[in-house]
Amino acid sequence: MRRRPGIGGLQTAAATRDQYRLLGENVAKIRTDLMKEQLTTFRSQLEDFARKHKNDIRKNPAFRSQFHEMCAKVGVDPLASNKGFWAELLGIGDFYYELGVQIVDICLATRVHNGGLIDLQELCNLLCQRRKSAHGAVSEDDCLRAISKLKVLGSGFEVISVGKRKLVRSVPTELNKDHNAILELAQAQGFVTVEEVERRLSWPSGRATDALETLLDEGLAMIDDGHRDGKRRYWFPCASSLSAVGADILKI
Amino acid sequence: MQKLGDLKLPNFFNYPPYFTLQPVRDTREKQVQLWKELILDYCRTQKIFVIGLEEEFPLFSNPVIERTLSHEAKEAFLSALVAEGRAEWMDKGHKKCLILWHRIQDWADLILRFVRENGLEDSVMTVEEIRSGTESRGTELHGMDRTVLMRALKQLEHKGKLAIFKGTSADDEGVKFSL
Repeated sequence: MRRRPGIGGLQTAAATRDQYRLLGENVAKIRTDLMKEQLTTFRSQLEDFARKHKNDIRKNPAFRSQFHEMCAKVGVDPLASNKGFWAELLGIGDFYYELGVQIVDICLATRVHNGGLIDLQELCNLLCQRRKSAHGAVSEDDCLRAISKLKVLGSGFEVISVGKRKLVRSVPTELNKDHNAILELAQAQGFVTVEEVERRLSWPSGRATDALETLLDEGLAMIDDGHRDGKRRYWFPCASSLSAVGADILKI
Repeated sequence: MQKLGDLKLPNFFNYPPYFTLQPVRDTREKQVQLWKELILDYCRTQKIFVIGLEEEFPLFSNPVIERTLSHEAKEAFLSALVAEGRAEWMDKGHKKCLILWHRIQDWADLILRFVRENGLEDSVMTVEEIRSGTESRGTELHGMDRTVLMRALKQLEHKGKLAIFKGTSADDEGVKFSL
């Protein structure tokens, strides 16, 4: 723009600036309105969907997990608030809080048996037994969601991956690499021997014994001297969901 | 689920480490707890009153997983029952153990109920009759251990509910109820 001297020139420049600002504000407003409208539509659609499939979401774990996935994709967390319309609509918040409480319960009750480390699948089985079928089935995905909500409490609930399995940890014990390696090894048969650990992981003799002793003290392992080969076996209740001893413990 | 007699066996019975006495305190406490319950349940369903530690006892080994309790483990579990008053060692060497799935007091109550239900309030019965007579058939008293029965009867005698007297034959005693 050619520079024009004088008061008139300054005034024109100010007027132009105002015009631009006005125009900008207008555009922004239109965009926000559009956005708001889209959000309302989206929300009502999602509500409609949720209402329509309410029973499926409640009863069918696979459907529930897909619904969660869909919500996550569009950036909605149905669990973010218990007071939100999701909770009112689906009672879904309560569902996970209830699940969370039951998970804590089971983890604490079976701690004496498994040292505070439980196989996700076993936890899920115990949860289903406890809830009976009245409340609908519970999937591993549901457990994981409920556990992730428990983190807020800072109670040290955590899901760790060992080999192919997922384990839920309810004690603050830090497992180091050695412990993890042993747990992974134990998943094949549910137990390991000192000899096997040394051979498979190529460890010197002291290392295996040390790690196993720690796991024993933490209550994560149990010894078994009853095999006829006379070799001591270290069993890991968290690595053999087949043992199902957790169910015995819950009965007491 | 595996069964022993009429008893459904708990899951831990198939988990080998439960047959080895655990060295870590917390783990061991739970192990002892589980075994205590199982021993009482088993003896109750099978009407077993005495466990001999040196004899074969079906509950103390599991052929499916090839595990058997060591003597030390058996003694530990039974001692825990003794400590709770649910069992008594019958000798100093801890070779035989009397299992009281009902405490003596509870047995005494059962006898009183039996007497009332059968209208025997002031009758005379022999000890053997209580254990194996027709009246007691179908009740828990039927086939009960003589030692335990005598102890329960003595307790009732102390309370003045009955009188025990020697019968004509040396090995049987009579009971006169007076409720």
